[in-house]
Amino acid sequence: MKRETAATDHVLALTLKAGAYTAFAMILAGIVLQYWTAIGSKITYAGLIVLLATPVLRILVAAVQFMRERDLKYVLISVGVLGIMILAYVLGIQA
Amino acid sequence: MSLGAALLLVTIGFFAGGFGALAGVGGGIIITPLLAIYYGLPIHAAIGISLISVIATSTATSALYVERHITDVRLGMTLELATTAGALIAALVAHQVNRRTLAVMFACFLLYSAISMAKKAWGSRNQQVEPGIPDYTPHNYPLGLSAAFVAGGFSGLLGIGGGPIKVPVMFLFMKVPLRVATATSNFMIGVTAATSAYVYWGRGDIQVSIAAPLVAGVFAGSLLSARLSSKVRSAYVLLLLILVTTWLAAVMIYKLATGGF
Repeated sequence: MKRETAATDHVLALTLKAGAYTAFAMILAGIVLQYWTAIGSKITYAGLIVLLATPVLRILVAAVQFMRERDLKYVLISVGVLGIMILAYVLGIQA
Repeated sequence: MSLGAALLLVTIGFFAGGFGALAGVGGGIIITPLLAIYYGLPIHAAIGISLISVIATSTATSALYVERHITDVRLGMTLELATTAGALIAALVAHQVNRRTLAVMFACFLLYSAISMAKKAWGSRNQQVEPGIPDYTPHNYPLGLSAAFVAGGFSGLLGIGGGPIKVPVMFLFMKVPLRVATATSNFMIGVTAATSAYVYWGRGDIQVSIAAPLVAGVFAGSLLSARLSSKVRSAYVLLLLILVTTWLAAVMIYKLATGGF
């Protein structure tokens, strides 16, 4: 395996881990806190937003890494996936 | 929501996420019918919440496979073009689809999953763990992309990951090693589910009070199972899931026959 590809995997894995643990910690903290304070449910909500944002973030990170590897084909593919996701978001808001 | 009810949801999420990740099917096939049958949620709401758990499973488990270079990120990204397109279209039309029709499709998908898991369990009865990953080049992209589009459509319509569709296609027709196919599918389902989840979220189909405790459980279960996966005999996990999915399919069919949904 090329060194650059290994680096891409490493950065992507870090992004996934960061997203997973941040969302998990926020949702869990919010659930526990909501029995004492009103801010609990807001933290839970924010945690779900972090979870929903992680897939977009991982595509963005992959696109940047493919750019570093000078692999134009996969930069374009990532941008295409990102475009479909943004379209879903925009259409979802209007729905 | 009472503490007891929240804890029950955490527990359900834990087992659905944990066993789902161990068997490589995602917790969606268990969560949607459970919420629709036992929590009395409208099926669209159950599907929306299930999509969130699919994102959680994918995010939690794929970090490990990506880190170990088992996931083929380039293959996954390419197929995601098709899965997200399918998921977007399906999520947009899902509300026009009759509830009962969705329930029928879901029951069929449960039975299909049970059969494909039975095949997998039978095939793996004497199998040794593959030592490394052999060299490969993905073949037959047109077929792979078409299957990915269909899998994405099912994901957006039924709130599942679509692994039982993508993994066999990648393995049998694209000539990708099974472990790579499974890991790549795991990576893709989060992106696919997120695409349709945005539409469900925008429509207000996702109830945070139910989704949050469930997702917390799914996270814990998936994180744990990703670490245990090499130590657990997958045949037993598969057997358990075959029983659960068959049971849920039977209950759904009974409910449909008696005029439910």
